Amino acid sequence: MGNRKWLILALVFGIALVIVAFGYYFLDRPEPVNWELTLVGKNGEQRLLGYDEIRRLPSLEARGGFFTTVGVVNGPYEVKGVPLHDLCALVGGAGPEDLVSVSAADGYSMVFGSDQLAGGIETYDPVTIHEAPHGKQVVLLIYEQEGRPLAESDGRPLRLAVVGDEALLTEGHNWVKWVNRIEVVSLD
Amino acid sequence: MIRRAGIVVISIIAVTVLAAGLTACAGAPEKINVRVLCAGSLMVPLNNLEAAFEARHPDIDVLTEGHGSIQVIRYVTELHEEVDVVAVADHSLIPMMMYNTRMPDTDKSYADWYIKFAANSLGIAYTAASRHTGEIDASNWYRVLARPDIKVGIADARLDSCGYRALMVLYLAGPYYRDSSIFRSVLGDFDPPLEISENDAQAAIAVPEILRPAGKKIVVRGSSIRLLALLESGDIDYSFEYRSVAEQHNLEFLALPAEINLGANEMADCYGQVICRMDFQRFASVQPEFAGEPIIYGATIPANAPHPALAEEYIDFLLGDKGREIFAAAHHPLVPPQADRPENLPPELKTLVENGG
Repeated sequence: MGNRKWLILALVFGIALVIVAFGYYFLDRPEPVNWELTLVGKNGEQRLLGYDEIRRLPSLEARGGFFTTVGVVNGPYEVKGVPLHDLCALVGGAGPEDLVSVSAADGYSMVFGSDQLAGGIETYDPVTIHEAPHGKQVVLLIYEQEGRPLAESDGRPLRLAVVGDEALLTEGHNWVKWVNRIEVVSLD
Repeated sequence: MIRRAGIVVISIIAVTVLAAGLTACAGAPEKINVRVLCAGSLMVPLNNLEAAFEARHPDIDVLTEGHGSIQVIRYVTELHEEVDVVAVADHSLIPMMMYNTRMPDTDKSYADWYIKFAANSLGIAYTAASRHTGEIDASNWYRVLARPDIKVGIADARLDSCGYRALMVLYLAGPYYRDSSIFRSVLGDFDPPLEISENDAQAAIAVPEILRPAGKKIVVRGSSIRLLALLESGDIDYSFEYRSVAEQHNLEFLALPAEINLGANEMADCYGQVICRMDFQRFASVQPEFAGEPIIYGATIPANAPHPALAEEYIDFLLGDKGREIFAAAHHPLVPPQADRPENLPPELKTLVENGG
């Protein structure tokens, strides 16, 4: 009788474990993302990249955050994505005299100069929000934040982020959400 | 007998603990959240107004959020968030962005009225540590700012209304002081350049996609608020700021003549000599051209506001005696409330506007 009781308990525990494991497997799996990014080179060359294709490109993980117009601080976060510079290189690259325009599904766009993309974006201390010097800085097209796919309110599935070794902040207008187009434009 | 008494005592304790737990779980009745989105330059007075409104209505939690004025409206019209009150630093953005934008699945626009309620003016902020403060005044400021050793801060005209308004001030200073070199001598060169095209009636300043000063004399930041820290740290000597913002931060402030400071209604024709045109489209819903005109703030209640009656009450409070007192303490001038389409106002606000606040 004693052995039977233990057997039933073990069975119940095993079933519960299987249910939990299945739950985690199915609930935690990211939903498939149907999103296309249009890359346009300065000579007009176009290339479409699906979300999964972007995730397969060489990626970078780093830390960065931003603050809003009135100084509300977000982050710094651990983010993962593809350097903007590498994406531009897929359509001929961006030279020192070129601009890179990043547009979003909500009609917002932001333009970056080559000096900004080469580390020239001002950075700020996450505590004081006073300007702080930075070392290496990279503009990333991110798809993960804190180890998870981006949330809708954070610009799912693709967002721009400015990151670096020091985990500093940058101004929020650079962190374009819902990115769907990157275009290299000649200044001339 | 003793055992029975013990059971009774334990039962009473258990029931008491359970009741206390349930009460704690139920907590106080939930407050109603009234969401107010406003221009960054309104944050100080509206934070104070929030506290006063909540003190009068303990059941209400006002959530005041500051953003750039365009972003304030985009939260409603493009990001489809539910907002009770919208208050922006440029009244013309409300008809531009809300009147012709339909709410999803309806033929109704996001707004069909707004109230002009506050003003401001532009001038030059500085600190006691800024260079040449002993000699700067309203007659010579442009010569002081043009000196090679002086660092001047200006908000990015592509991102902040204070930025394009500062460019307008610098242009208007030319005819006012009869010196057409002021715009270039203060700002220096930009790469690519800031082009000005003029005809008999008006000048248009074209702001390029990238606003990049050629030298280190001019410091451009995304918002005028960011320049305050640079002033305080001594990284810049002077910056163009709204008067209310400079005074709220206890900075020195040089008021500019009414003919150029964008703060006087009677000078509207004078300000109309200049417009600022963006050479690119940053927001799909915003015409990238801004007219020189007096700085007037506007407020409205979006048609999909979740608490329209409370929103009306909030605006009524803002335009009433307490609101006037709070804005005066924050150095932010109010103007007699005026609606663009009085016939569309909610009845309570109609009476208020007709009576001049």
